[in-house]
Formats: sequence, C-alpha cells, structure tokens
Amino acid sequence: MDYFSHSWLPYLYLYGVGGIFFFSGVYLVWKTGAIDLNQPHHRTWMKVFFLGYAWFMIVHGVFTILALQ
Amino acid sequence: METFHNIGTSTDWVVMVVYFLAIMLFGTYFGRYTKNTSDFFFGGRRFSWWLITMSIVATGVGSHSFVKYSAKGFEHGFSSSMTYLNDWFFIPFFMFGWLPIIVYSKVRSIPEYFEKRFNPSARFLATILLLFYMIGYIGIGFLTLGKAVIPLLPESFYIFGTLIEITLMRAIIVIAIITGIYITFGGQTAVIFTDLLQGFILLFAGFLLFILGISYVGGGQEFWDLLPLSWKLPLADFNKPSSFNFVGIFWQDAVAGSIGFLFMNQGLLMRFMACKSVNEGRKAATINILFVLPLSAIVVGNAGWLGKAMSVLDPTVVSPNTSPDEIFVVVASIVTSPGIFGFIMAALTAALMSTVDTLINATAAIFVNDVYRPIMKYLKKTYVNDNQKDKEELFAARISSMAITVAGVLSVLAFIQFPTVYEAHGYFHSTLTPPLVVAIFMGVFWKRFTPAGVITTFLGGVVLMILGARFPEIFISPFDHGIEMNPDRPYSYIRAFYNLIACVGVGVFVTMTTSLQYNIVSAVKKNKNSNTVMIVLTVFTSLSFILAILGSDYFLFPISVIILVPIIVTYYGNYDEELSTKGLTVYSISEAKKAFKGSELNETNGEQVEVKLQLSNHDEDKIMCSKNDLLKLGAEVGDLVYLSDKRKWLGGLKSIHSRFGKSHNEDGIVYLNKDQIENGLFDKDKILIAEKEM
Repeated sequence: MDYFSHSWLPYLYLYGVGGIFFFSGVYLVWKTGAIDLNQPHHRTWMKVFFLGYAWFMIVHGVFTILALQ
Repeated sequence: METFHNIGTSTDWVVMVVYFLAIMLFGTYFGRYTKNTSDFFFGGRRFSWWLITMSIVATGVGSHSFVKYSAKGFEHGFSSSMTYLNDWFFIPFFMFGWLPIIVYSKVRSIPEYFEKRFNPSARFLATILLLFYMIGYIGIGFLTLGKAVIPLLPESFYIFGTLIEITLMRAIIVIAIITGIYITFGGQTAVIFTDLLQGFILLFAGFLLFILGISYVGGGQEFWDLLPLSWKLPLADFNKPSSFNFVGIFWQDAVAGSIGFLFMNQGLLMRFMACKSVNEGRKAATINILFVLPLSAIVVGNAGWLGKAMSVLDPTVVSPNTSPDEIFVVVASIVTSPGIFGFIMAALTAALMSTVDTLINATAAIFVNDVYRPIMKYLKKTYVNDNQKDKEELFAARISSMAITVAGVLSVLAFIQFPTVYEAHGYFHSTLTPPLVVAIFMGVFWKRFTPAGVITTFLGGVVLMILGARFPEIFISPFDHGIEMNPDRPYSYIRAFYNLIACVGVGVFVTMTTSLQYNIVSAVKKNKNSNTVMIVLTVFTSLSFILAILGSDYFLFPISVIILVPIIVTYYGNYDEELSTKGLTVYSISEAKKAFKGSELNETNGEQVEVKLQLSNHDEDKIMCSKNDLLKLGAEVGDLVYLSDKRKWLGGLKSIHSRFGKSHNEDGIVYLNKDQIENGLFDKDKILIAEKEM
C-alpha cells in the first residue's frame, strides 16, 4: 500500500506551507527592527527560532521513518 | 457504539473528592493574594517564566483535552499529536510582534488594542466576536468535562424516592456550579498557582497511565508491533477521511488555531502578561511549545493509542466499537488499580476545570474592561477614590464570572450534535477565529491597515463566512484540497482556509482601495444633503448585514456590506495613521517601549544586586538604592526596576515593579514605603534581588 499521502506529502505540506509563514515571520521581525541582531540576547532568540523549526522537522521526520520501516 | 456507566469504585470516588478539596484549598490559599482587579486578572505582572510555563500546562492539556485526543488517538493513532506540534510557525510573529505590543501598550484586553489601534467601533465589534469565541470555548470545556465524568456515574439514581436520570447536560450543570464557585472567589493568582500544581500532577498522571498501559500490553516493543502502520504515522492522511485529515487540520489548527491560541486567547495572553517581563514571557512560550506541548501530546493521546493496541490484542477487553470520547476512561479503568484510577480521573477533571476557570477569568476580564468600564464611563459614574472603584470592579468581575459560566453551559447545546469533542472544537475554531485572527494579525503587521479595513473584515468576513456555510459546494469546495464533503457537517476543518481567505481578502481589498473611499467620501461631503445620504446608506447597509446573516439568498447584500461599510467608516471616522500605529505595530516596538517607560530607554548592561529591605515613609512609588548599587545595576534615577524575593522557588510571587528614586550612600540597602512592602508581599528579614527592567 502506498503511504505517501499519509506520510511525506503531509510532511512536505506542513514544513513547506508552514515554513512560508515561519520564514515570513522571521523576515518581518528582522526587517522591522523588532528583533535587533546587535543585541546578544536577540541573536540568541534568532537561533532559537531556527533550532525550534529544525526540532519539529526532526521529530516528525524520525517518527515517519520509524513507522514506515 | 458502546457506551459506559459506573466505571470506578468507591475508593476512586474518595480519592477524587479528597483531590478536589485539596486543590480548592490550595487555590483559596493563593486567592488571599488577590487585592485588586490587576491581581484578579493579571496576577500583578510579577511571575517567573518557569512558573507560568507550568501553569500553562494545565490550561493547554485541559483545553486540548485527554478526552478528545485520546478519541482521535484511538481512531487514528499518533497523528492525534499533530495539533500539539504545529504551533511553532507563528512564534516569531508572537514573540517579537504581539507580545511586546500588548505588554508595552498596557492594554488589558484584546478589544482595547483595537480601540487604540483603530477606533471605538472596532473595539465594540472585537468585544462581541471575542465574547462569542471565549464563551464557545468555555462551552467546549464543559462538554468535554461532561463526557469525561459521565462514564463514572450511574445511569440514574433515587433521591427522596424520585428517580433522577443522569444526562450529559445535567452533569455539565453540576460541574459548572462547582467551577463557578471556585473561580468567583479565587482570581488569577489562585488560578496560576492551582494550575502550577496541576501541571505537574497532569504530566505525572499521564505518564503513569502510559507506563501502566505499556506494561499491560507486554512492553514497548509489543505496543509498537500491535499498532497498525497507519496508527504509527505522526501526521494524518493528507485529505481523508473528512472527519480527520491533515490538510483541513493544518488550516484549522496550525494556522487559525495557532494564531488564535497565541494572539487571541485572552486566558493564555493573561498568563504571559503575568510574567515579570516580556523576555520572561518569551521564555515561557518557547519552553512551552518546544518541550511541554510535545510531552503533553503523549500525556493526552496515549490512552487512545493504548486502547487501539489493546483492542488489537483482545477485542473482548477493549471493543473496537468503544465510543471514542470514552476511551480514555475505559483504558484508565483497565490498566490501573482502584485508587490510582480515581487519582487519574481527578487529575483529568481538575485540569479541565482549570482550563474552564482560566477562560471564565479571562472572559470576565474582557467584560469588565470592554463592557463594564465603557458603560460606567458613558454613565459618568464617579468614585470616592481608587479603592472604591477597584472594589466595585472586582464585584462586577465576580458577578460576570457567574453569568459567563451560565452562558458557557448554554453554549454546550450548539456543540452537543457533533459525534466527538474533537470535531466540535474543530468546527468551532474554523468558524469563530478567522475574522479576529485576521484583524489582529493585519493590525499588528500591516501599518496601512485602516479602521475601514478592520471593521469590514469583521462584518464582511462574517457575511462571507455565512455564505460559505450555506453554500459550501460553491464557496469552500475550491479550497478543499480533495477532501470529500460530508453533507451533515460540510468541511469541518478546511472551512478555516476559506474563512481565512475571505477575511484576508476583504481586509486587503478595503485597505488597498482607501484612496478611492476618501474620494467618494469627499464627493459626498460636497453635497449639501450629505448627512441624509449617509444615514440612508447606513440604514441600507445595516439591513443588508442583517439579511445576509439571516441567510438571504441575494448576493447583493454581502456585496453591499463589503463595499458600503468602508465608505461609512471613512465618512464618520477620523483616522491618523501615524498617530494610531505608534507603538501598536511591529514597526514601532521601540516607541512602545519608550511609552511604557515614559522616558528614553537606558540600554546600559548591568547586573542583579542583592539588597536588604528598610522601611521608609516616602509617598512616591519609587525605591531608593545606593549610588554604588545603581552603578552595578547599570541604572539611573527614573529607570524601571523589578524587585523580588531572593528565593527563586517563589517564582516572583513576592515582588514589585517600581522606579529608581533618589540614591543614597548605604550599599546593599533598599528603601521601600509601606504600600510597596505590602504589594510586594515582602518579608522584612529576607534578602531581595533588584534588577533594572529598562
């Protein structure tokens, strides 16, 4: 049975369309100066944003791989 | 479908009653820290991130409940966790956009933001929509509570010789009375501390159930092997079935729900506003979404996953036909022993009550701030002093809490028709959140968004949503991503996509045609009968709106609303973009910060300083530190300061915000007046920590 529509298709949609929202948000708060990368703790927050995004991608990816094995 | 009654033993009931009494006593103890409306609603903006993070657990776990996620876990597997793992996409918008704006602009409610950013009409409409949303949310909470409790109760019982049948609605009414009593006398500080305790208990109870269940089915590997492949996948099938599909839930939950959760859930926002600073709020949000929510997904869904594994292992123990909304109770009763089952059920129901408590408290905050105060202002009510005003507002808050509880119970009737709580909640979110979510989002992140734009988004968005609900095959199907339409409940989730597009479309259309509206209005104003023309236009538009929401088949009415409302708002309104957006959009956060402080910002880095408390008899709300301590703090006279008890585990319960006053020469000493010591709940012999806020 083909599980693509139950595994990688939703995964790509989630991090593709969700990624558009996420990266637009990062760009907007940077462009408007709401996050000021000259401040050390703001730089830390920027890293947290990307690590958080990667964290959820990894969690979903690992579980999908484990399930399909 | 198989339903249950009388699950549990008398030992379980004793444990549940003891648990509830203990929780209520705990809440009542912290209720004594409620001195005014600020404490009642916001807990005095004093708490540390970890305390708020844990207190959010009970709110999040309660609202995204054991009942509904266990149900979906039983029916579909690990994909029940989707909604707990998709809140990160909007976190940059929230942490560096909305959160600093609501804190620094000192708004007490979301509708108040709309008045500051747009005008009083926008606030009025936002209040109506938000009250609908919050009361509906309370209704969902009560429905879930009722469904959780029903399997524990008998079908009927005798009292004074009369047979009383236990129905879902009757159970909900009794629960509402208990919930209402607690919140009415507690307040936000009580809720935060009760939720803190329950957060720990819930995580413990959820994992205890998971471990016992895994052991019951023979171990982790056996549990994994028992589940069919599609139950192991973390995301649902892309577009089927209509009752649970990935793409519908993405738009309903990951987009509308996440923005709704972070941007318009007044209960959650009040938690973040109770943090001692914006940065603490960011930490609380981060830890909550990155770690606590994934753990919560396991806590709330595992009974369903276990139920599926058990039904595969032995269908006579757990029937595959078990009512999904009852699977949590069924599994818990099988894998636990008497007493433990009572403890788990008590933790579940108490957590659900916490969610409802938080929502009632938040809705009362909206009522006092956006209904009671404007009415009192309109009636030109005068008060002898601030204390009397506060006392009367606190009374109004408590009375409104009771009224909101009743409205919440009545709103259950709208959701009772859905087969599961999950679908009821999905439909509710898809339908009620889009206009407000879009209005907040565009207000914060689009400087050009006008009052005409926001009001038309509310009114035009609602009429287009109603059109979509009436003719889903015409309006929603182009967005359905291949989801089959269920005629009984068409497009429960993916309707959120259409509704969002409709609201965004209206807002963008109206804002992009602003100059056209001004041209029309100036042409009308040149006419000597302009007032009469506008009155006729307003009456016609109002009638069009009413007919559109009542379900008229003429498309002329919704179109009239979308075209005429902006002209009416522009005609009667007076909007200065520069003034209205200052400190209220993401483009001017530093302005908001300056306005919050009331002077230029001092960005000098400093360190925290330990100080000992001394009583002083000065009147101003300022604290006096030594010159050397000010240097260490990197602070100057007039800067904002946060002073807290050194004991970190108190989480900021004993603390105040103030300003640095004149300095002195006694290092390590801070002078406070009597009011500050009382408000900070400080003990005279304890060391305090001073830190510059900004």
